[in-house]
Amino acid sequence: MASETPSSGTWFGSAEKVGRLRGRIFKWTCLGATVLTLALMLVFLLYVANDAFRPFSADPGWLATMGLTVVVPIALLAGYYYRRDRSAGQVAYTALGLPVLVALASGGLWLLFRHIVSPREWFVLVVSIVVAGGLVVGHSRVRHDAVTERLVVTVLVPLLVVVGIPTVLPGLGQFLYLLPVLPNALFSLILGFVLPVAAIVGWRVRAVRDADRDGAIAAGITVAGGLAGLGLGPLVGIHPTSWFVFAAPIVGALVVYVEHVVRNDKGLSGLAFPVVVVAGVFAGLAVTQLLGFAGPDAWLNMDFLTSAHDTDPSEAGIYPTLVGSVLILLVIVLSAFPVGIGAAIYLEEYATSQGRFGTVMELIQVNIANLAGVPSIVYGVLGLAIFINLIGMGRGTAVVAGFTVGLLILPIVIISTQEAIRAVPDSHRQASYAMGATKWQTVRNVVLPESLAGIFTGTILALGRAIGETAPLLMIGIPATVRIAPDSFLSRTGAMPRQIFSWSTQITTEFRYGVLAAGVVTLLVVLLTMNAAAIVLRNRSQQTQ
Amino acid sequence: MNGESALTRGATDRDVKERLVGVLLFACAALTIFVTASILFTLAYDTVTFFGFDETSVVGFLTELEWEPRNGFYGVWPLVSSTLIVTVVSALVAIPIGTAAAVYLSEYASPKMRSVIKPALEILAGIPTVVYGYLALVYLTPWLRSIGLPLGSFNLLSASIMVGILIVPMVSSLSEDAMSAVPDSLRQAGYGLGATKYEVSTRIVIPAAVSGVFSSYILALSRAIGETMIVVMAGGLQTNLFDPLDPFGSLAGSGRTMTAAMVNAVTSDATGGSPEYYSMFAIGLSLFAITFLMNLASNRIAARYREVYQ
Repeated sequence: MASETPSSGTWFGSAEKVGRLRGRIFKWTCLGATVLTLALMLVFLLYVANDAFRPFSADPGWLATMGLTVVVPIALLAGYYYRRDRSAGQVAYTALGLPVLVALASGGLWLLFRHIVSPREWFVLVVSIVVAGGLVVGHSRVRHDAVTERLVVTVLVPLLVVVGIPTVLPGLGQFLYLLPVLPNALFSLILGFVLPVAAIVGWRVRAVRDADRDGAIAAGITVAGGLAGLGLGPLVGIHPTSWFVFAAPIVGALVVYVEHVVRNDKGLSGLAFPVVVVAGVFAGLAVTQLLGFAGPDAWLNMDFLTSAHDTDPSEAGIYPTLVGSVLILLVIVLSAFPVGIGAAIYLEEYATSQGRFGTVMELIQVNIANLAGVPSIVYGVLGLAIFINLIGMGRGTAVVAGFTVGLLILPIVIISTQEAIRAVPDSHRQASYAMGATKWQTVRNVVLPESLAGIFTGTILALGRAIGETAPLLMIGIPATVRIAPDSFLSRTGAMPRQIFSWSTQITTEFRYGVLAAGVVTLLVVLLTMNAAAIVLRNRSQQTQ
Repeated sequence: MNGESALTRGATDRDVKERLVGVLLFACAALTIFVTASILFTLAYDTVTFFGFDETSVVGFLTELEWEPRNGFYGVWPLVSSTLIVTVVSALVAIPIGTAAAVYLSEYASPKMRSVIKPALEILAGIPTVVYGYLALVYLTPWLRSIGLPLGSFNLLSASIMVGILIVPMVSSLSEDAMSAVPDSLRQAGYGLGATKYEVSTRIVIPAAVSGVFSSYILALSRAIGETMIVVMAGGLQTNLFDPLDPFGSLAGSGRTMTAAMVNAVTSDATGGSPEYYSMFAIGLSLFAITFLMNLASNRIAARYREVYQ
């Protein structure tokens, strides 16, 4: 091609020195543009963090103490990992990040226990589910061959036991309420939450180590971590029920992770990192308390997280909208995720590409790609028109918000799940078919377990997108400010991003540079923790493949 | 029942179950078509309601140059012009930076550098738009004013810059995918002819990936058109028609984009049955049509591109 043009003589490599300089300039321009954007955002985020925490309002002694007890040990340890043991560095940030992530999830759960399901209702629900599960498993043992019958039982029995038939037959839960003795909140949570979490941890450890004793030990540690709240909780001023909700999952997750690290015997010294960080923080707090150094007068503090919006900026908080956001996320997880994963399974495993049906599938595929690009505000209008105007659900409720934002992230869930499923090698499917498995058995036993990490990553990222969506919430009438937390999925609810938007319309500096920054940091901490976890998870699973 | 062997009975039962699962999963997939259909239907239905009012007409909507619902003016052009300003300025920010980042990541970056920059860009893409809007309103606008630009406290310039930063990760990651997909043999051929890395990047990789790069631009622009929170928070709600004689004036002042007008229609005092309330459906339909066509075009271009190298 080049030989046809007269300029072929000057095509490549004519003026070498100029060329090299130009190349270098080009490279650095490209890098510079990238770094400039990232640096600009970093500066923005530092400003926000500074406004939210105001570290320089603290006593210099406080900063110095904290620096000595927290920052210096972290830096030393990080330096050690960097120079001596790289894999320990990976272990270190996972061991620190995992409890943070689990604590966030537990925080959401805690809010649910406080406002939506009381511990006693939860206990009754757990008992119903266990009974239903027992019935289904028992039936499948007895009548193993009757597939259709089993299918009916699998669908109907849990429905009957947990929900019952409205107005005709109450579910098992209603009968349980009639019992003369029901455990109080404390024991409800021990039986209905701490023990199940411990059982899951123990079962998992037992499965990977193939030893009953180790599983029992793991479960025992988890139970002990949870029950420690009975004694320690009152000492540190935490209600035992709160302790259960946070401690059991955190201890459980740590047990599973420590077991994993010990089994692989790689980077063991990384496990010291979270210990050093936590010990440093406590030591710093104790010393500053002792010497009387005042901490920073931060906007983002416990009061902010636990109080409602107020016209007085120093009183304003984010609590009710935090509850609202958790409810909305729960609706999304229960509605959009199953549908999205189901659609992805269909498109990857069931759909044919031939004939007229193939054209329909292609249409669906193109349509999903396009839906992913529809502006979020249009989904808001859709939610308003369908769920509120047409079906008549309440304006600004968690259900409507969850469904609307759920539709918005549906294409993202489908696309990322499809990618995860596509990564499963075809040979594994063929092996399953060769063993006589049906399509659904192959999907359930081979494809889904293998693509689980990928699906999980995609759904976490989609959930992160969902937390921050604001425009649809405006359209479906999520109120600008709420003073009390919602008590059900059907009551009007606030949401974090909506609250941030309404704070941004306040013009006083305290709101602009204080409350608003604190709200933004809260939102970002939740979101970035989730996204970072998803990205780390994905990179790990790519490494192992 | 007694005559059949247990094996065949199990098999037919299993068929029923398989078919049931298949139907259920198909319903999930078909729901996405239903979503598109209901977007189209609900928007179109209420758009018809909107044009049924006395003070509104299709011709007026498309030709009048004023958007003042209070006084009965419903010309869409001021909204479109503000949206276009945001789109163009954000493209001026995002396209050079995004393309440069893509070239760097695909051609120059060491694996270590990639492992830092790519997640960072990804995290950038995960920050919610309400946060970008806040950054534009509370930090960027005062900064731009402190360097001497005569900006209002709500202005389209800082909103557009923020929208630009928002879509940089989109441009860079999609363009990088396109550039990484260029077969290595083309690069080797370039080096074989004595080309430098710069020449290979600019004259071989970028031209070879141009349709993928171009499709990423379209997708990013469509995202900029539909962006809501940043323009509502930092761009304000005043309706202003773009003035060709004073282009900077339009940038420095407030402007109500199409998306901002929709937000205003539903959050302002406009009551449920008023033309202003229904106007959001007409604007929404226009917005949906524009972005849908752009996404379709982007997909088409990317699909054509894929055929070339496989």
